Amino acid sequence: MLAYTLKRLLAGGITVWFIATATFVAMHQVPGDPLMNDKAVTPEIRKNLEQKYGLDKSATEQYFIFLGNMLRGDFGISFTQQNRRVNDIIRDHFPVSATLGLLAIFFAATGGVLWGALTAIYRNRLPDIIIMFLVILGISVPSFVFAALGQLLLVNINSMLGQSLIPVAGWGTFAHMLMPSLVLGLGTMAFLTRLMRSSMLEVVNEEYIKTARAKGLSPVRIFFRHQLRNAILPVITVLGPQVAAITTGGFVVELVFAIPGLGRYFVQAVQQLDYTVIMGTTVFYGAFLVFMVILVDIIYGFVDPRVRLE
Amino acid sequence: MNNRILEVEDLSVEFSTYGGDVKAVRGVSFAVTRGETMAIVGESGCGKSVTVQAIMGIIPMPPGRITSGSAKLDGNELLGLSPKEANEFRGIQIGMIFQDPMTSLNPTMTIGDQIAETLVVHRHKTYAEASRQAIDLLEKTHIPEAAKRVTQYPFEFSGGMLQRAMIAQSLACNPSILIADEPTTALDVTIQGQILELMDELQRTENMSIILITHDLAVVARMADEVAVMYAGQIVESGSVEDIFYESSHPYTLGLKSAMPSNIGDRDKKLTPIIGSPPDLFSPPHGCGYFARCPYAMRMCEDMQPTNFSVQRTEDHHARCWLQHEAAPAVAEVSQSNQDKDNAG
Amino acid sequence: MTDITSFQPSDEDFARVKTDLAVEQISRPSLSYWQDAWVRLKKNTRATISLYIVIGLAVFTLLGPVFWQVDSSLQDLNQISQAPSLPKTAALVGAYKRWDGIILEDFPAEPEAYAKSVAAVTELRAFEAATTQQVRITWNPTPGAGGYNIYRNHRAPEDFNDLGLPLGSTFGGNEVSYEDRLSLESRAYYYSIVPTDGYDEYEVYTVTAITPQMIITVNDARGRNLITADEENNLGQEIRLEFHPFGTDYLGRDMLARLMEGARVSLFIGIVAPFIYVIFGIIYGGFAGYFGGRLDVLLMRFADFVVALPFLLFMILFKIAFGIGPGESGIFPMLVTLALLLWPATARLVRGQVLQIREQGYIEAARLLGAKPSYLILRHIIPNTMGVILVTLTFAVPAAIFTEAFLSFIGMGVAPPTPSWGSMCNEGIKTMLSHPHELIFPATFISVTVLAFNLLGDGLTEALDSRMRSRE
Ligand SMILES: Nc1ncnc2c1ncn2[C@@H]1O[C@H](COP(=O)(O)OP(=O)(O)OP(=O)(O)O)[C@@H](O)[C@H]1O
Ligand code: SF4
Ligand SMILES: [Mg+2]
Repeated sequence: MLAYTLKRLLAGGITVWFIATATFVAMHQVPGDPLMNDKAVTPEIRKNLEQKYGLDKSATEQYFIFLGNMLRGDFGISFTQQNRRVNDIIRDHFPVSATLGLLAIFFAATGGVLWGALTAIYRNRLPDIIIMFLVILGISVPSFVFAALGQLLLVNINSMLGQSLIPVAGWGTFAHMLMPSLVLGLGTMAFLTRLMRSSMLEVVNEEYIKTARAKGLSPVRIFFRHQLRNAILPVITVLGPQVAAITTGGFVVELVFAIPGLGRYFVQAVQQLDYTVIMGTTVFYGAFLVFMVILVDIIYGFVDPRVRLE
Repeated sequence: MNNRILEVEDLSVEFSTYGGDVKAVRGVSFAVTRGETMAIVGESGCGKSVTVQAIMGIIPMPPGRITSGSAKLDGNELLGLSPKEANEFRGIQIGMIFQDPMTSLNPTMTIGDQIAETLVVHRHKTYAEASRQAIDLLEKTHIPEAAKRVTQYPFEFSGGMLQRAMIAQSLACNPSILIADEPTTALDVTIQGQILELMDELQRTENMSIILITHDLAVVARMADEVAVMYAGQIVESGSVEDIFYESSHPYTLGLKSAMPSNIGDRDKKLTPIIGSPPDLFSPPHGCGYFARCPYAMRMCEDMQPTNFSVQRTEDHHARCWLQHEAAPAVAEVSQSNQDKDNAG
Repeated sequence: MTDITSFQPSDEDFARVKTDLAVEQISRPSLSYWQDAWVRLKKNTRATISLYIVIGLAVFTLLGPVFWQVDSSLQDLNQISQAPSLPKTAALVGAYKRWDGIILEDFPAEPEAYAKSVAAVTELRAFEAATTQQVRITWNPTPGAGGYNIYRNHRAPEDFNDLGLPLGSTFGGNEVSYEDRLSLESRAYYYSIVPTDGYDEYEVYTVTAITPQMIITVNDARGRNLITADEENNLGQEIRLEFHPFGTDYLGRDMLARLMEGARVSLFIGIVAPFIYVIFGIIYGGFAGYFGGRLDVLLMRFADFVVALPFLLFMILFKIAFGIGPGESGIFPMLVTLALLLWPATARLVRGQVLQIREQGYIEAARLLGAKPSYLILRHIIPNTMGVILVTLTFAVPAAIFTEAFLSFIGMGVAPPTPSWGSMCNEGIKTMLSHPHELIFPATFISVTVLAFNLLGDGLTEALDSRMRSRE
């Protein structure tokens, strides 16, 4: 298990390097000198950046300087927010996004397992049909529409109650987090429900379920101890990649609900062409996602003995 | 005391599918004698597994449906019980093991827990007690280092070991019948021998009856006291192992025999496969199911379902074939012509 | 069975017959792979409906503009953020004329002493027929007032704090009129007048409801070709305005025309991008799978890296890198980016299939017979992978449409004024509370399209998956 973890971490490191390189290459494709294009740069920042990235040096040299900076975890200074370091921006805003994302994943995973199991039990009967219809909707409706609908719902609830029970936008209390994370998790929940359902139906046909029945176990026991546990495994394996979907979905939800997360900041930076912020956040997010996938895989190892003992 | 521990009467099972209803088992009757082994033989898809699974009540319903019949264990009806009632005998009075031990055990549960589970549920033991007993059971099935093995997962076992573990699991509550559905098909030959030996040994020490499903006549010859030959959802011949081997009376049994390599008979004997394929069980033929492949087919066989004639010489020997009719050409002639065919081929 | 037990066979019945093994042959008609798949697909109701929806969308996109020849960028200032409705009419009026308002001469502009409270104004009324060009209201002054605040609301106010939008103020107890020209529509408005002491309000108000009449000026009507030259003098005549069956957006542009043009953009990206990367994936994966060995390992390792790139982040990054110059719609960079990032999935799939097929005897046989690799790939491997590829393609369409919508929504997609469903949603969400149709229509189009392609993909998977066939 240790060797496996180390191997995965090494591969993850290489992937992050690839992401950083791709980021560098992409940003170097930007027509013209990034500093020339933007009027917002003060001479002070310009001097700073020129020094830092050696903008007068060759591309290769710049690349190595860039890699060195990334390796040290130094993402530079924002173009548009004078003298604010990208590291500070990430430190200030990422926890918000992470909280939102974790809550969303939590909703999505519990919901997905629950609904999926339910549809499998009621296969081809009314609850199954209703839930699967909603799932198809959940997969087909873009996250920003959910976000808008969620907000609309809150507005209506609040105006019906005549008081602001759940805040419509903003961040701070748990009440603020509820609707955005639910909305953010919805698409993933639909996806996981589908996966869980087919996984459950596959497991039902496994021989060991037949064995369990031949052993004289009660249906409830078979369901919980044999079927459910094995059916959840594939759901866990896709959780890692789904973190990526949730993270990027977070951009939109943060915009709509005016949440001061890193996603909203990233979108803003993109619109203002704030190069250092874009590069820093991309590499940071990339590394985060890669290691989330690894983390989920390692957790999976603890659930599935076949992986754990390899 | 009734010597018949399990009596199955006129069992029929259907599956509804897209293509129509599959009549997988069509009026099967047999009985199992206390402490003896009954073998069910027949080619793939003839309904062997469905028959025993129907008795155990583990046919998936839907699409499965038991359309008629009864199965009595010591006089108590087994068919049509609620899951709760059925669990009073499943795993307690009847244990079952399956063809592929690799997929028949839960991959995410330790072997020990899976064996212990039966005891916890049926004998109301604590997991600690049950786990200790699981070690004893594994030892009984000759698994080395049983104490260490109980904490392992199925993927850490070899196929033969898994089948032993399956047997240990099915023996947990000292069942009076063990149903073994092709227990050795998925194993390689040397392991096969060991598993059969183990079953033989356990039968003697535990005084169990065994229902052994196989399509290997050599296994039948070695293990069985009584034999039922199945074809296209019906039992076409049944009797003692001697009856079946030395007085084979159904053309299908004869066909099976001549398709089997034998180390008793003459070595020069050619193996003759049975040509053709079994009938479509969506719409089974009106007459004899074997008609299309039968070398002795007669005009009446096509439309007339043969009755289960008792073969004259021994009492419990039956064959579902018109050749057993009193007016039919003598059986001797048939086996004679069979010989001719062998010689000619 | 009973008749059989009593059945007495004759010698004739025992006559030997020769059996014909062919009788037992399965007599169901044999269909080719694709015919079979088609039959299965047609049996799947959801997939069939989806197929019709997809065809409907194609018709909407391609033929729609032929029947609905409205310029999607033309602004109809008479009908801004107009909800879907039947055709509207408007009265023809002349150009706007200034109005000086009413200042009473026999009433003091400032009260002599500031009272603690004053009475509400009376006789609040429209000064003349209210139109969507202007609403002119007047009222009787109230003694003690030093001015008035004017409010407008969309519903009858419930109390003093619910008067709605503050329109303006007058600064004199004798200034008793107000002209409202603030984006008027033909609907009921509730005007409230609150007297002030010149600065602070007295807590009394008077409400009246006024519904302006829809009008259009002669100049406007002429400019938009709604009237002929000789109709120009018929002031007051009701003329028919442009018809907007799906309403208009916040700039008064026709929603239907925009939805059609948006469909063209969204579906173009949604269909062309998958084609590009699926084809690239086929070539890449086919190459890797066919030649195998070290090359295969190398190629697939690279594909793994590309897969690891966080997709939407790099979409954004590449879009910036390729740049959206002024006047460019941004469709091309989007296509390139989608293709650059999404090919590995297809490549891996095709490679797996090729490896599997390569093992099969007939390919080996063909190779031994001297077939060239290109022939083998074209004749044997591609047709055999067609099923999976078709399914991939079907699922790739909604993914691409989603991506386009996402990017356009965060302002990184198709550049305005080119509409796409995603950018229309982006605009619509801003006015979601007051004019929901501007969000609902494009969002519905995205959802229905994605839904249809998803269901179609599901249906195709089932229809083409021969494993399902044996299972059922
Ligand atoms: N769940 C099911 N749905 C539909 N048909 C089924 C199902 N289970 C079994 N059958 C059908 O019942 C028939 C008998 O199957 P069964 O498994 O009993 O054969 P078998 O004699 O055990 O063969 P094998 O030696 O291959 O195990 C087969 O034709 C099969 O197609
Ligand atoms: S009944 Fe007729 S067809 Fe059937 S096995 Fe006997 S002889 Fe052959
Ligand atoms: Mg079987």
